[in-house]
Amino acid sequence: MAFFQKPFGYEPILSKDDLKQAVQKKKGPRASNWKSTLGRIWRIVDEQRGLLVIVLLMVMASSALALIGPYLIGKMIDTFVMNGNLEGLGKMITMLVGIYAVLAVTLFLQNYWMIGIAQQTIYRLRTSVFSHLQKLPVSFFDRRQHGELMSRVTNDIEAVSSTLNSSFIQVFSSVLTLGGTLIIMLSLSPLLTLLTMTIIPTMFLAMRWITRRTGPLFKEQQAAMGALNGMIEETISGQRIVKAFSQEERVIAEFREKSLRLKRTGFWAQTYSGFIPKVMNFLNNMSFTIVAGIGGLLALYGHVSIGVIVIFTEYARQFTRPLNDLANQFNTVLSAIAGAERVFVLLDEQPEVEMVAANHHKLRGKVDFNHVYFKYEQGEEAYTLKDVHFSVEPGQTVALVGPTGAGKTTILQLIARFYDVEKGEVLFDGVNVQQIDREALRSQMAFVLQDPFLFEATVRENIRYGRLNASDIEIEEAAKRANAHDFIMKLKDGYDTVLAADGREISQGQKQLLSIARAFIADPKILLLDEATSSIDTVTELEIQEALDTLMQGRTSFVIAHRLNTVRNADIVLVMQKGELVEVGLQQDLIEAGGIYAKMLSSSSRFME
Amino acid sequence: MKVVFSYVKSYKWPVFFALFLMLVELFVELIQPLIMAKIIDEGIQAQDHQLIVQWGTVLLLLSFVAFLSGVANSYFSSHTAQSFAFDLRNALFEKIQSFTLATFQKFPAASLITRLTNDVSQVQTVLFMSLRIMLRAPLAVMGSIIMAFFVNAKLALFLVIGAPIVVIFLVSMVVKGVAYFSKVQHRVDRLNRVLQENLQAIRLVKAYLRGTYEASRFEKVAGQLKIDTVKALRTMEYIMPVLLFIMNMSLLAVLWFGTKQIAEGTTPLGDVVAIVNYAMRITGSFSMFAFIIIFYARANASAERMAEVLAVDNEVEMISSSVGATDKVKYGEVLFENVSFKYPGTDTPVLQNISFHVKAGEKLAIMGATGAGKSTLLQLIPRFYDITAGRILIEGQDVKEWDTQRLREVIGYVPQQSLLFTGSIADNVRWGDVEAEMDAVLQATIQAQIHASVEDFPRGYDTRVGQKGVNLSGGQKQRLSIARALLRKAHILMMDDSTSALDVDTEQALWKDLESEKATMLVVTQKIRTAKEADQILLIDAGKVVAYGTHDELVKSSALYKRIAISQQEVEQ
Repeated sequence: MAFFQKPFGYEPILSKDDLKQAVQKKKGPRASNWKSTLGRIWRIVDEQRGLLVIVLLMVMASSALALIGPYLIGKMIDTFVMNGNLEGLGKMITMLVGIYAVLAVTLFLQNYWMIGIAQQTIYRLRTSVFSHLQKLPVSFFDRRQHGELMSRVTNDIEAVSSTLNSSFIQVFSSVLTLGGTLIIMLSLSPLLTLLTMTIIPTMFLAMRWITRRTGPLFKEQQAAMGALNGMIEETISGQRIVKAFSQEERVIAEFREKSLRLKRTGFWAQTYSGFIPKVMNFLNNMSFTIVAGIGGLLALYGHVSIGVIVIFTEYARQFTRPLNDLANQFNTVLSAIAGAERVFVLLDEQPEVEMVAANHHKLRGKVDFNHVYFKYEQGEEAYTLKDVHFSVEPGQTVALVGPTGAGKTTILQLIARFYDVEKGEVLFDGVNVQQIDREALRSQMAFVLQDPFLFEATVRENIRYGRLNASDIEIEEAAKRANAHDFIMKLKDGYDTVLAADGREISQGQKQLLSIARAFIADPKILLLDEATSSIDTVTELEIQEALDTLMQGRTSFVIAHRLNTVRNADIVLVMQKGELVEVGLQQDLIEAGGIYAKMLSSSSRFME
Repeated sequence: MKVVFSYVKSYKWPVFFALFLMLVELFVELIQPLIMAKIIDEGIQAQDHQLIVQWGTVLLLLSFVAFLSGVANSYFSSHTAQSFAFDLRNALFEKIQSFTLATFQKFPAASLITRLTNDVSQVQTVLFMSLRIMLRAPLAVMGSIIMAFFVNAKLALFLVIGAPIVVIFLVSMVVKGVAYFSKVQHRVDRLNRVLQENLQAIRLVKAYLRGTYEASRFEKVAGQLKIDTVKALRTMEYIMPVLLFIMNMSLLAVLWFGTKQIAEGTTPLGDVVAIVNYAMRITGSFSMFAFIIIFYARANASAERMAEVLAVDNEVEMISSSVGATDKVKYGEVLFENVSFKYPGTDTPVLQNISFHVKAGEKLAIMGATGAGKSTLLQLIPRFYDITAGRILIEGQDVKEWDTQRLREVIGYVPQQSLLFTGSIADNVRWGDVEAEMDAVLQATIQAQIHASVEDFPRGYDTRVGQKGVNLSGGQKQRLSIARALLRKAHILMMDDSTSALDVDTEQALWKDLESEKATMLVVTQKIRTAKEADQILLIDAGKVVAYGTHDELVKSSALYKRIAISQQEVEQ
């Protein structure tokens, strides 16, 4: 018995308590959860009702034909074969040839259309998850591994896909066949029918025993798969570091651990679901025995004919086969539900909150922070920003300075409304940012991020990301202004060079130049530059400084830079320290006041000399 | 398929048991009609009550045996399949860890992810099914045919009349299927790639309001995946109806000729009934058979994709086992001799004829315009790529003769983009040295000027870092990645412009603390004031050395250097 406790050393995953809980939950909210998951999938499937009806008609036709076939053969055995009677046999066979030909066609067509329906459903599910992801707040992504999210869109939806391909037709045709067989069996011999039916309660109990285990196991399996995917994605994306620190063994060990979790859950899920056909087969055999044994006895006393028994065993098989299929499908459906639930969790994530009466405010460029408090995580004690209060007039250039981690990037992220403040207000032209349509707001801003990101696309498309309707000439113009044109022309195909996923053809500084070009093309009202030139050499920086200055003209600009000489042209300086605004004012005033900023300036120039 | 399935070999015994148990089940299933015929012919027709009960009991017992075998088979099969998948995944992952950076060009991350998860699952499922039903369906078909021949060869002949057509048909379907399904898997790669890019760039997408644009990009790849999946599945859908039709025609032939023979008195009724029964069994196995062929084609496509990964020949990582020099004088020494380099698969040289010499404990500053080749130069030292000409000597020994692992152990690398991993802060620093004591970690973080900031976090060193360090500021990430490199106690410390996000005071403090480092330092920098502190400055432009010497020398001798210095108001115009 020890083997069954821990076969091949697999630790059990579900405890008795888990199972008990599963039973209790089933009665409670989980049952409805289940139904709602299925219901939601169904709603997408149902969008193609027309095709679905055709498929159903085909299934009905093929089920009927599949029943009529053996029925006629049984008849044939009784009337022709038994008596060696050849008269009329030819006609009957011709008819059967016809029936089987039509059967083959209907079988093909139902699957043909069903595949279309299923894959369309999967497509709809995938794209709606993706579009929904685009609406989620940035904080959602901060908490999750990319690979884990990717697994939901691929592996979890894949589980739904394989179920949809087969289950729908199977379930429907099984139910039909079951009903039809039952009628014929009853008409042949009510007594034998009753005997065959005795297996149903047993089947029900066995199925309950199994699915109570496979249900949670499938869920755990998908979760383990997600975790593994997350780890793979992160490791491979950071492969350079793994290599540099020769940590291959460490990541391999970590991978093995996650892989082992998947193996364990996989083992139990697969073993238990493997029981289903066996149980069904057993019950199948039982019914076969019952019909053959008891039927034989009945025939002995002349209650039924031999032909009836022969056909009846076939029908008993026909009867248990759809039951068998249903049982198997039930299990597949459970695995689909496990996948689908993880997908719907994403779809149920709250998108970025939008005020009902949000207006499409046209920005003039005045920005105010009114005693703003902010922290990234709800549970955190310390605020990332504390009581930040300042006011910027349209067209002014604001420099944010201060040690790293002081909250400079956070301020920019609040201006772009990647996050919402905890206390206080962010105001644009005196209007609270929460009352401005988010899209309208961002469409009037351009952001050059700390870590420039380029897509696996041509240089041209990468710049065009700033404004999709920009012409090729405008793109080149922007690239020239950002001092990127020269190096672009040196690339293999110039502007049409496709940048590789890891962007190794171009350096970090060149990436920054491209993302500055992107901002040039966007033509924003408010410009946010977060260390936009940090990886660019100072000579090039000087060269684009002028262009940047032109860009900033007439726009409200916020600039973070550590090389203080790059912010010397700023009108206003915000000095941040540990989330607090310690100094704010016009550049000149601050220098004259001789406060922190003045000290920073002198220390940086002292260091220079 | 072969390469991949060689991983089953370690599970000979479970496979053996699983197959044996499956055969037991199959055996029961096959002799059932035989017993049935016996009951009809000898029991019912001969009115033998006793015999019916006897054989009925035998049937019952056999069912029970079949059931137990089936349940036991489930354990063995899933153990084999899961262990196989586990081994395969690990082998793939280990192989990937041995990839050179150049190989990653051929296999982008998104594609490797698909291969490690989705493709492994496909093959795993097929193995599980093979051990349970896949072999069973063909065997059941074969067995039924053999039994039918055993019962009555003349009639049974009709069952196999269509066989040659069936075989040709199936083979062509499998070939087609493999091609279609490998295309499908390729589409999954693309889908993964778009997803991954989107997640990595989510702030950019939001800042530029490209949600809809991204959605349309995704719809395109998802749409292609749909079209190709539909095409593949629909092609496979021919199998079942065609097989079924051929089989049903054979059945009708049996009935037609059977009846004839009965009329002629050459065949007993029981024979015909038994053969009809076998024929129906074969038909019953056919839907499973079709299913198997689809899965087989799909698994074959996936297996090929995995074999591709396993077959990669890693040139660089083929390591010679010689051990690094321990010569004290050469400790941390770096020597470049006429080094030229271009990235594999490209024609443009990135570096040409680079020569320099950094003696033990010295500091070299590398400067140059954006895209001059500074980062590339650093990456040659830990042998991420192989050079195309010249020699690189580390501690007196050519990097090609170093054990790569050992070589990288003596190097502490701070990349330009500070990349952190999901885990705690302490974990991330310990990438430098997994076994480091907390004291050593603290020493490194203090030296990297990040200790105080970490202490300020509510959870200190246990603070969880999000993927790629999303919850940390740029400067914090840079300092953590410096701490990570310092913890390594490396002979050579390479810093790739890795203080760009630090404020002046912090940076100054950092350099001051690093003065005590005895490691040789190679520092890529934009800042003259950092370069000034170095023993030597290497100025490169467009992949060539344009100046090499100390600050004072370069100010005099190099116009470019002077221009940089002026741009930073470091010297008078």
